[in-house]
Amino acid sequence: CNKLDINIDPNNPLVEKANAESLIPSGVVSTAGRVGGDLSIVGGLWAQYWTQNNSSSQYISVDTYDVPNSSAFVNGPYQELYSGALADYQLAIEKAVAAKDWRYNLMATVMRAYTYQVLVDLFDKVPYTEALKVGTFLQPKFDDGYTIYKSLIQEIDAALAKDFMNTPHLATDTRIDLVFGDNGNASFEDQMENWERFANTLKLKMYLRMAYVKPAEAEAGITAMYDGDTEFLNINAGVSAYQNVPNKSNPLFEYNFRRLNTTDNLKASVTLVSWLEQNADPRAQVYFGADSPVPAINQGDFWNQSNHPEYFDAVVPVIAPTAPVWFITKAESCFMQAEFLERYYGGDNAESKYNDGVTAAFTNLGLASPTDLLAGPYKYPKNANLETKIEKIIVQKWASLFGSHALEAFFEQNRTGYPKISPVYSTEPGYQPGTLVYASRGVTGEGNFPRRLVYPDYEKSRNTNTPAEVPIYTKVWWGK
Amino acid sequence: QNKKISGQVTDSDGGGPLPGVSVKVRGKQQGTVTGPDGKYILEAAEGVILEFAYVGYVGQTRTVGNDPIINVVLSGENKSLTEVVVTAFGINRASRTNGYSVAQVGGEEINRASPLNLMAGLQGKVAGVDISATSGSPGGSSKTVIRGFSSIAGSNQPLYVIDGVPVNNSRPGDASPVNSLGDLKESYDFGNAANDINPGDIETISILKGAAASSLYGSRASNGVILITTKKGKAGAFKVDVSSAAAFSQVTNVPKLQDKYGQGFAYESWVAENGSWGARFDGKTRDWGSEVDGERLSQTFVAAKNSFKDAFDTSQEYNNTISFSGGTDQSTFRLSYGNVNSDGILPGSSDVYKRNTISLNGSTKFKDLSITAGLNYLGKNTRTVQTGQANSGVGSSFYEDILQIPVNFEISKFKDYKNKYFDVDGFYSPFTQNPYYSIFENGATFKSDRFYGNIDLKIKPLEWLTLQFQQGVDVSNIVDKIWNAKNSPTPGSWAGGGNDEQIVRQASVGNVVDGSEKYFEFDSKLNALFDHKFSDRFDVTGLVGLNFNDRGSRVLYTGIEDLLIPGLFQIDNSGNAPTSSQTSKERRLFGAYASATLGYDSFAYLTLNARNDWSSTLPSAQRSYFYPGANLSLILSRLIDMSSAKVSLLKLRVAYGKTGSDTDPYNVLNILNKTNISLGGVAYTSFPFGGVGGYSISNTLKNNKLRPEISTETEFGTEIKLFDNRLGLDISYYNRVTNDQILPIVASPSTGVNFRVVNFGKVRNRGIEISLTGVPIRTDDMTWNIGYTFTRNRNVVLELPDGLSKVVLNAAYDAQFVAKVGQPLGVFEAPVPLYDPEGHIVVSSNGFPASAPDLGTYGSSQRDFVMGFTNTFTYKDFMLGFTLDFKKGGLFYSGTADLLNFVGNAANTVFNDRRTFIVPNSVVRVVDGEGKTTYVENTNPITENNIYSYYYTNSGRAVSYKNMIVDRTYLKLRDLTLGYSLPKKVARRIGTDRAMITLYGRNLLTWLPKQNITIDPEVSNFGNDLSSEFGEFRTGPSTRNFGVSLSLTF
Repeated sequence: CNKLDINIDPNNPLVEKANAESLIPSGVVSTAGRVGGDLSIVGGLWAQYWTQNNSSSQYISVDTYDVPNSSAFVNGPYQELYSGALADYQLAIEKAVAAKDWRYNLMATVMRAYTYQVLVDLFDKVPYTEALKVGTFLQPKFDDGYTIYKSLIQEIDAALAKDFMNTPHLATDTRIDLVFGDNGNASFEDQMENWERFANTLKLKMYLRMAYVKPAEAEAGITAMYDGDTEFLNINAGVSAYQNVPNKSNPLFEYNFRRLNTTDNLKASVTLVSWLEQNADPRAQVYFGADSPVPAINQGDFWNQSNHPEYFDAVVPVIAPTAPVWFITKAESCFMQAEFLERYYGGDNAESKYNDGVTAAFTNLGLASPTDLLAGPYKYPKNANLETKIEKIIVQKWASLFGSHALEAFFEQNRTGYPKISPVYSTEPGYQPGTLVYASRGVTGEGNFPRRLVYPDYEKSRNTNTPAEVPIYTKVWWGK
Repeated sequence: QNKKISGQVTDSDGGGPLPGVSVKVRGKQQGTVTGPDGKYILEAAEGVILEFAYVGYVGQTRTVGNDPIINVVLSGENKSLTEVVVTAFGINRASRTNGYSVAQVGGEEINRASPLNLMAGLQGKVAGVDISATSGSPGGSSKTVIRGFSSIAGSNQPLYVIDGVPVNNSRPGDASPVNSLGDLKESYDFGNAANDINPGDIETISILKGAAASSLYGSRASNGVILITTKKGKAGAFKVDVSSAAAFSQVTNVPKLQDKYGQGFAYESWVAENGSWGARFDGKTRDWGSEVDGERLSQTFVAAKNSFKDAFDTSQEYNNTISFSGGTDQSTFRLSYGNVNSDGILPGSSDVYKRNTISLNGSTKFKDLSITAGLNYLGKNTRTVQTGQANSGVGSSFYEDILQIPVNFEISKFKDYKNKYFDVDGFYSPFTQNPYYSIFENGATFKSDRFYGNIDLKIKPLEWLTLQFQQGVDVSNIVDKIWNAKNSPTPGSWAGGGNDEQIVRQASVGNVVDGSEKYFEFDSKLNALFDHKFSDRFDVTGLVGLNFNDRGSRVLYTGIEDLLIPGLFQIDNSGNAPTSSQTSKERRLFGAYASATLGYDSFAYLTLNARNDWSSTLPSAQRSYFYPGANLSLILSRLIDMSSAKVSLLKLRVAYGKTGSDTDPYNVLNILNKTNISLGGVAYTSFPFGGVGGYSISNTLKNNKLRPEISTETEFGTEIKLFDNRLGLDISYYNRVTNDQILPIVASPSTGVNFRVVNFGKVRNRGIEISLTGVPIRTDDMTWNIGYTFTRNRNVVLELPDGLSKVVLNAAYDAQFVAKVGQPLGVFEAPVPLYDPEGHIVVSSNGFPASAPDLGTYGSSQRDFVMGFTNTFTYKDFMLGFTLDFKKGGLFYSGTADLLNFVGNAANTVFNDRRTFIVPNSVVRVVDGEGKTTYVENTNPITENNIYSYYYTNSGRAVSYKNMIVDRTYLKLRDLTLGYSLPKKVARRIGTDRAMITLYGRNLLTWLPKQNITIDPEVSNFGNDLSSEFGEFRTGPSTRNFGVSLSLTF
């Protein structure tokens, strides 16, 4: 009966009308929204850039390592990254492959791999082979992180092997590329070349994650790339179109500043501040809007104002509403290159990559090249042993990942152990600036730093394949 | 040999003539109705029995003897004994023929305490029906649930039918997608549409509870039907009725606050703190509040008395109805005008409910044709404030701000919100805003124009056949507007960082949202009604019919955030681009149905009915569904003469029926949504972004194999009337299983969706309903009527889909309201402490109890039982009545308690005098070098200056939820009325037929269990369906009303 055929939603398009042009930007902003938003708050608390303010309470559970499986910091990102970002990339890839559009295939494949890599690094095991196939698997099995990594690298290789330069974009198409499209102004060649570099640098990142646990495979993967003259990122990859407009601004700003009733839940942590001060690093002013010594709170020592009246002077980290969310920065790319040159090529050229990294980290903030610092405290210890050099590189990387990129600093500390763990709290006389301290109100027991997130309740209560919960201080598969 | 019988039927109340009374010869087609003077004439043989029946009155029978004059006095004193009830399609049926339970309540009973909405007038009066007012504010929603919740995600609200035609009962905001601009969710309650019907126009309400009674109404009736019959003009004299009521109300059941500790934190008097974790009261004079121009106010350091109650005003409410009615044998009419003007308990005009209703109906007859029509206009103009969580950084909310004021402050002082100590700059705390600022500067208005009505044509081509056409229309046009003012503290002012904690209050950038909602519903029915007698003993009545229903909504909301010019609430007034959300929905349904009742010798009645629906919302292959039913009524008292046992009626009923139900529109085909990325909390990134548009795969997977939901219900019951109808008992037992429910259930996010629409599972409701009526005293001068109802419903979820251990229905922080197999629908789960194998509480290294990895069960929201008790005493011209409503058992979550615990205002936060303590019976976990776990006694105390975090949901996660998930029991004195009717003679002298003055109170007293020190569990800002059973999140208190009403008939 025709009168009853009125059940096509007039408000939304049918899924059959989907195209890569509308899905890819949705996915990219979704990944940026979580990785550079609430996860960067967690990352920054655990990498000890900032800590919970003494007179408010928003992030107490994170800053005491008391993050249960029902926490919004666990369920929220997990849900958005899977059903938001990954679902869109997946459909975009299907559409691109069907249309033999290898440009969009590469973009969506790289972003999908980047998003999966974050999930693996956070949760250790996640659904992969059976994920995103709701028609077939309602309870996807979990795959181990190593297997997922290998598959992601293969998928990137497959996408790179396609002829993605074949059909140039129109300017309107270029515009939808929120990572390298430069609002439609990028040339097609530059744009796709940058995606290729992004793909390679992401592979590099994943191989480096394996450096301690699968050393042979990491080395083989990286040397194959380097020996094949593979190009790595020499610009920042990320989303920079944020505006100071409600629902369009940097996700960390939107979440923590625009939409909370008090905007000073996050305060400078003594851990980072003491290191910046020790080195007279001008980034203190950029990160915290205050001259060194930046007034700060010892990590996790909120509500102790009776003993520390100076906590009232502690400053809030500066996160601009227009701050970009970087997926991989140029500095990070340089530090990764320095690391592998040190590990697999006897340090050939490592110092220059290190210097490029530190310089890029400064110039990215609008600061002058730190020539004095590179001659002083940041000078590359060329003649030291490997671990000392790795520490130097990773500590500099840590100092560069402030803001919406903070999660990566947490991962890299888990991987390398740098910055080092301090044997004493930051109020004690022997404290070395910049070393991580066990949060003063941690609930996991002294020394048990968080190393992962527990499996989300959203998955656990809906999927019987979810592995048994392990404590938050259990390292992930590549952890040191 | 027939002879002419005549007589007059009069009203036992005042002796006036009763026009329109049906007079029938038992077992024959013969009959008539009384005229305007109450008189009748008919021909009947000696020895036959005449039956006198009239809606709202107890029927009587007389045997024709020698006397050709038979006068009858009918009394309407006890409505629950009424023998004629309105059933499906507005057909008046002798209740004895019904094999199911139908409750009927008269308009007078409903309007006794002049309620503003009809459901408030039914509270406590009908077994099996659970009615709550979800808000103390005028015009707020009411929640009506018949025989328990059976739908997990769909509607559990009954269908409202006025004069045979279904009407809209939507709640504004519900038609918009979740988290869109038009999703008002828990923040604004503009009432539900059925609540706006003027109770003064109601003649009777019949409540069809079970499937057997309601199934002819089709899919929407699966939760029961509220059948409203409006007042009509009667043949006879022209009548004018005037009723006028004025009432005042006050808040009741305010939170119980502690009175030992003042403003501050960790035992210290921090003067910018929002809460009372400070020093112990010492009665000395101290400065308080902010420092402005170098000065501070001072007061004695003690707990303020009645501060919370005094924060509110006394509200006023005026409720007037005037009606004109009359008619001739051929035609009748009634015209009424109703006006409600109510200003709620918040100061100023921030909560207002104004309603104008005009109702016109009439009927006329021409030969075999009769036409009835009703047309109603309903104009509503309301204003309300936000409940729940404020839109941080945009505006603020009264109920969130008021709860945080330290207990030593008199809240009402802040009413002077422009005073330099209380204004935007001078407000004492940078963590909240002056609650009264949001009342006077922020707000929400709602205007609706609604027309509903029906046309009913009947033609009687044959003696046994009537053809009926019914057309109903209900259209509403709504505009609403929500705004928050822009403000920010001046840098350096108290709230701008000049306080002792140097905190700068978040600026409110302000916003404005303009909404428009249109609803439409068209309902057409074509019926053939038949009534045929085959022999002296067998008769059959019934109908066959067709129904077409078309309804839907168009909703458009547009808003901006961050106002350019403060004080102007217009979409253009911003540097930001406006955002919009637009939703259109439409659904259609064809139905064909038939019903027949076979009567045997006025003793046994068997009804068979069936309906088939074709719904637009189901996949075309599954859109047709059929559901039959049958019921049987046996009147044993006709078979066996029980008059010696004083039994006037003994009836047994049994019924079996199914109801089918479709789903919401657009659940079949998969869609894309405009991209709106959740960043956590209330933060989003929305597209277009960076000049680029975005669509994402919908997070809800639709389903093209949906089947209709089917409920199956079995019902048994009995009715007994004893002692000349002075004692009546009606008992029903029912068992309803709802199968194949259609709802979006959660999916593991790794599948790529968060929800998928499925048919699944079973929910069973079993229950017993008892209603007892009695007339302990009946003399010429005095009567005492009692009515008692008892309901016990047992609900259980029988199945959930594979892999799902629970379905979350609602949540706040870590408290969840879930469906679980084997449990009632709506179980509270929240963090619980971790215990060692010996049952000791395990504490973390910081001395606070660790929480178990999974949430624990606290109990369900299901009530043990519900009881109502109504009493009416009349003595000469005086009437005294009251209704008690008792709901026992179940739990609810209170977001008010959560905040009061957080800020140290709640009475329970003085536990242990806030001194250092070690969690009793606690242990710490020790893992040795070999990984072996042991537990040793805990010696790590929670120190004095850490006590507050014991009540926080983060540090005190394991133990704090018990303060918020509490017993929802209450006992209320729903109404208390004292009426005086002027004696007829006196009334006549002042030119009236009837004059009555009534003093009334509504919800005068509420008793709550000791454990609930916070809020009336009836209130909720989670809508008016299952999710509202979860509880409340920072909403207003309930109110008690006192009033006086005058009703006159000319």
